[in-house]
Amino acid sequence: MQFWKRLQSIDRRWIYLVVWLVVMIPLIFPFKIKSVATAPVESLFTYIDTMPENKGLIISVDYSPDTQAELQPMLVALLRHAFAIRRPVGILALYPQGLGLGEDAIRQVTAEFNAHAKSGADSVISGREYVFYGWTTPPITPMLGMGQHIAKVFPVDYYGQPTESMPAMRRMKNYDDVGILVSIAAASTPLSWINLAQTQFGIHLGCGITAVSAADYYPYVNSGQFTGMLAGMKGAAEYEELLEQGMVKRGMDWKLRRKGTEAMSSQAAAHLAIIAFIIIGNIAFFVTRRRKS
Amino acid sequence: MALSCFLALLICSISPPGNVAASDVPNDGGGSIAVTWSASPDTSLVGYQILRQVKGDTTWDTLTFAGRRATSFVDQAAQDGTEYHYRVIAESNTESAEAPVSGYAAARAQWFNFDTVPALIGSVVLSFILLYFISRARKDRNLFIRRISGLDAVDEALGRATEMGRPTLYVPGLSGISDVATIASLNILGEVAKKTAKFGTPLIVPNTDPIVYTVAREIVKESYTSVGRPDAFTQDIVFFITDVQFAYAAAVDGIMTREKPATNFLIGMFFAESLILAETGAATGAVQIAGTDAVSQLPFFITACDYTLIGEELYAASAYLSREPLLLGGIKGQDYSKALFVIIIVVGTVLALAAGLPVLEYF
Amino acid sequence: MKKRLPLILVLVTGIFGAVTYFIPHHSIQAADESMRNDVMRIIAAFSLVLGLGSILQHHFHKIQHKAQNWQYSWLTVVTIFVTGVIGVFGGMDPSHPGILPTQIGSFSFHMQTLYMNMLVPLGATMFSMLAFFMASAAYRAFRARSFAATLLLAAAFVLMLGAVPLGRMIFHPLPSFAEWILAVPNTAAKRGINFGIQLGMLATSLKILLGIERGWLGGG
Repeated sequence: MQFWKRLQSIDRRWIYLVVWLVVMIPLIFPFKIKSVATAPVESLFTYIDTMPENKGLIISVDYSPDTQAELQPMLVALLRHAFAIRRPVGILALYPQGLGLGEDAIRQVTAEFNAHAKSGADSVISGREYVFYGWTTPPITPMLGMGQHIAKVFPVDYYGQPTESMPAMRRMKNYDDVGILVSIAAASTPLSWINLAQTQFGIHLGCGITAVSAADYYPYVNSGQFTGMLAGMKGAAEYEELLEQGMVKRGMDWKLRRKGTEAMSSQAAAHLAIIAFIIIGNIAFFVTRRRKS
Repeated sequence: MALSCFLALLICSISPPGNVAASDVPNDGGGSIAVTWSASPDTSLVGYQILRQVKGDTTWDTLTFAGRRATSFVDQAAQDGTEYHYRVIAESNTESAEAPVSGYAAARAQWFNFDTVPALIGSVVLSFILLYFISRARKDRNLFIRRISGLDAVDEALGRATEMGRPTLYVPGLSGISDVATIASLNILGEVAKKTAKFGTPLIVPNTDPIVYTVAREIVKESYTSVGRPDAFTQDIVFFITDVQFAYAAAVDGIMTREKPATNFLIGMFFAESLILAETGAATGAVQIAGTDAVSQLPFFITACDYTLIGEELYAASAYLSREPLLLGGIKGQDYSKALFVIIIVVGTVLALAAGLPVLEYF
Repeated sequence: MKKRLPLILVLVTGIFGAVTYFIPHHSIQAADESMRNDVMRIIAAFSLVLGLGSILQHHFHKIQHKAQNWQYSWLTVVTIFVTGVIGVFGGMDPSHPGILPTQIGSFSFHMQTLYMNMLVPLGATMFSMLAFFMASAAYRAFRARSFAATLLLAAAFVLMLGAVPLGRMIFHPLPSFAEWILAVPNTAAKRGINFGIQLGMLATSLKILLGIERGWLGGG
C-alpha cells in the first residue's frame, strides 16, 4: 500500500530524469521508425510531385528561431523536393527572423544537390533553379503583389541581384505560374494567405505548422482551402519518407540526413513514456482507492 | 502566294481579348480601378500587357504583365477623380493582339463599405440584445447566474494564503492592453486586490507589458485605497519584468519557487508558456485559479490548475465577483445571443441537410 | 473629471475604431492608421520608460535592503545597462556598426550576436522544458476519476500513439482515428468555445465603451 501511495506522490524530478533519458538515448542510439504518411501530408506531397512542368513552388518562411526545431526540417524537405523534380522555387520571408532560417536551409540543400551534380545542368544555382526573394513589409504587399507580378514586389533578390531577368523568374512571373504556395509558420500566418492570396487569386496553398496548432488548421484542410498540411515533426518525418521514396525512384538514392525522421525515435519513446506514466499513475490510484474503501 | 500568306496569317495570328472595361472598385477608400476583359482563347497565349493613359494625355504607361488565366486587374495606383482608360494586349512568344481601348473610369473613395452590411446587422442585433438586458437589470436586480466554481473559490484561495502567511501571485497574462482578455483580467485583479488588502495578504503582480503594468499599478493602488488600506500599497507589489515571452516565464517561475505563494492566479491571454507557469505553480503546492480565452492553452490549465475559467467565463468574472446588476445584465444578454446563434446553426444545418433530399424535386 | 475624461476618451476612440471597419474612405482610414501607428507607438515607447524604471526600482530596492538573493539583482541591473549601452551605441550587426566597437578579434558582441547566441538559445531551452512539464502534469493529473476523465484519458492515448509511427504498428487505423478526433469533435468543441469567447468580447467591449465596466479605470 505504501509503495502505491509513494508512487502517486513521487518526486517530479524522477519523472524529469526518465523523460530526459528517453529523449536522449534514442538521439545517441537511434532506432529507425518508418513513417507512414497521413492524408494531409500525402495530399501535399502528391500535389507538388504531380504539378505540371510549367508550374513552380513558392515557400514562405513565416517562423522564427524559437520553432526552428519543428519547422526547419519541413523547409529543407520542400526545397529538396522542388530541386529533385526540377521545378523553380521562390522563397520569401514575411518577417525578418525568417531570413536567416531560409538562407540556412537554401545553403544546406544547394550544397547537397551540387555535391551530387554530374554536370552544370544538374547543379542548383541561385536565379536559375531558385530565387531567394528576401523580405518586404508589410506582409500584405507580397501576399497580394505576387498575384500580379513577383518581380515588382521583389525587384532584387536577397543577394541584391535584379530578379526580372533571372531564368527562374521568367518561368514564374506571378501566381498563375505557381502550382502551390506553402506557408511554414508557428502563428496564424497561413490563414492570412487564405484570406488574401487565395481569396483573390485562387492560388493553391499548403501549410507547415507546429503540432500544437494542428487542431486549428484541420477545418481548413477539410474544406480544401489547404491542399495539404505538415503538422509538427511527425509531418516533417512523413514528408521526408515520401520524398526519399520519390528520390530513389528518380535514381537519387543519396541517403540525405532527415532531421524530422531522426527525431521520431525520441518522440515515439517520449510518448510511450508518458503513456506508461499515465498507466502507472492510474494503477496506483485505483489500488490505493480500493484498499482505502 | 497570296493564299498561302493569308493562310499563314490565319494559322499564326493570336486572338485579342474582348470586352475590355474599366470601373471604379466599389466599397474601397479610392485609388483603385478594376480592369476586366474576356480571355483570349489561344493556347499559345503567354499573358496580357496592361497599359493605362490619363484622359487628355498622349502617352501610354505600362502597368503590368498579367498571366494567361487572368481576366481582371486592379490598378491600385490611380488618383482619385482622374479619368483613365486602359489597353489590354494579348501576347504570345512571337505575337500580340490588342482589344479595343476601354471606356474612361475614375477612382473614387466610398463612405460606406456595403460588403460589411452583414457584420453591421449582426453587431446591431447583438448590441441591442445586450443593451436590452443591461437596462432590464436596472429594474430586476435578482438575475440568476449559474455557479462558476473557479470564481467561488477565489475567497477560499485568498483565505488560504492569509492563513498560511504566504503571498498571492497574480499573473495578468502576456498580451497587451488592447486585448480584451487582459482588460477582463485587470477587472478581476481589482477585485482580488481589494480582498488581499482587506485580509492583509501580500500580493505579487509581475507584468510583461509596460502599459499593462501602469494600468495594473493604478488599479491595485485604487483598490487598496477603496478598502481603507492605502498604507499597505507599495511599489513592489506591481512591477514590470520583461516583454520577452520565455524570459518572463522564467522570472515568474523564479518568483513561484522563491516566494512560494499559496495562491496563484493565471488570468489573461497566454501562449506556449502556459504549462511552464501552471506546472511550476503546482509543484510549489499552490492553489491555482486560471482563466484564458486562448483555446489552445485551456487543456494545459485544466490539467495543471485547480480551477479554470474557460473562455467567456473569464469575461463574466468581474460581473460575478462584484454582483453589479448592470454587469450581470450583460451576461444575460450574452446568453440570449448565444441561444440565437444555436437556433441559427440548427436551422441552417437542417436546411443544408434538407437541400439534398430527393423529395424536394417535386416542389 | 478624473474618471469622466478617460471614459469620454474611451467612448470616442472606441466608436471611431468600430466605425473605421465600415467606412473605407481614405481620410478615415488615414486617421485610424495614424492612431494605431503613431499614437499607440508613442504611448508604448513612453510606457517602456516606465517599465524600465519599475524594474530598476524593484532591484535597487532589493540591493539596498539586502533582501534574499540581492546578488542576482546586481546581475540583472548590470545586464540591463550593458545590453542597453551595446544596443544604443554598438550597432545591430557588422553591416550597421555604431560608435562603440563591438568586436575584439573574432569575438563579437553586437546586438544580433547577443540575440542569436544568448536570447534565442535561452528561449529555446525554456520552450523545451515543456516536454518535462507535460510528462509530470500528465502523470499527476490524468486519473480516470469519472466518466469524462476516462474519456479524456482514452482520447489522449489515441492521439499520443497516433502521433508517432509506432501507433500504426500497434493498430493500423489508429493514426486515422487520431486525426478524426482532431478534425471532428475537437474542432466542434473549439468552435463552440470560440462563439462564446467572441460574444464575451463583444459584451465586454460594449460595457467598457459605455462606461458600465470601469474596473480597468482603477477602483471604478
